[in-house]
Amino acid sequence: MDGESATNRVHRGRHDDAGLTATVSVGIRNRGDVGDTLVEIMLTVVIIGLTITALLSSLATVGNATNAQRKSVQIDVVMRNYAEATKAATQTCVVGGTYTVLYPVALPAGFAISGAGSTCPAAPTTPQLLTLTVNGPSGPPTTMQIKVNTP
Amino acid sequence: MIKRRPRREHEDCGAALLLAVGFVAMVGSIAGGLAALATSSVNNRTTLEQVRNWEYAADGAIENAIAQVRLLTCASANGFITDATMDAVSIRVDWAKACGVVQSSDGSVVAQRNVIFSACLNTGSPCSDTAVPAVPVIIRAQVNFQQAFLGAVTKTYVQSWSVNR
Repeated sequence: MDGESATNRVHRGRHDDAGLTATVSVGIRNRGDVGDTLVEIMLTVVIIGLTITALLSSLATVGNATNAQRKSVQIDVVMRNYAEATKAATQTCVVGGTYTVLYPVALPAGFAISGAGSTCPAAPTTPQLLTLTVNGPSGPPTTMQIKVNTP
Repeated sequence: MIKRRPRREHEDCGAALLLAVGFVAMVGSIAGGLAALATSSVNNRTTLEQVRNWEYAADGAIENAIAQVRLLTCASANGFITDATMDAVSIRVDWAKACGVVQSSDGSVVAQRNVIFSACLNTGSPCSDTAVPAVPVIIRAQVNFQQAFLGAVTKTYVQSWSVNR
């Protein structure tokens, strides 16, 4: 019966009773018409879903990491600028005098700096320890310690 | 009569599975690569922050050493200090005197007190890039101490200041 054409099988079914026609119609597909089972389709959907989920989550992770990296670099730049500005300000110090730290450029939005002193080190032989703090838009503040001296 | 579904051609068997496995492996590789890239970037950032703290700690330690050496003279021996007050980093600063004389514009001879400072992480050994094992120098600086007639230092001039790592 496998060798019969679909036309012949359908033609014969029309002359049979209804139950037989329904039974025979199951087998009238050609090999090219055979579909996938429900299990195969579900498995395919699950695999594709898992891979897309993994890809999206990794992209989200990379995005978050890149954002954190950018903020970290910004904090580093602000900290270095702040430290250099503090050191430069103390270069004009005299014993008993004061100094003012001028941050060289506009601070990025959301950043705040603190910790630089204003009183010059008491003597050229006693460097002053300063703890500089940079507060970024998010996350804990970053601190760094430097020493400045009266020339 | 129920007919059985025709069997697939022999050469097609398993191809779909191989394709699925290949697809999953490819996506997994991409995801893993991206995650590794992000992790590497964050780790590098941490290392760079540590290097920054070392540089500024060495900077401060040299300031401290300059303040102490300022009280010495050309007759004093070379020496070193350790400074662990900044960012919990212990820095060693070695100094070596480089005294000499120069002739001023009016022909008189003027003594020059120069000192070379080398700052490195404190390992208990002198700072040296060539020693085995090496104790890499973070900052090397040469400072000139301007002295009054009686020898008191009136001002310090940094003649060179190189950050090596």
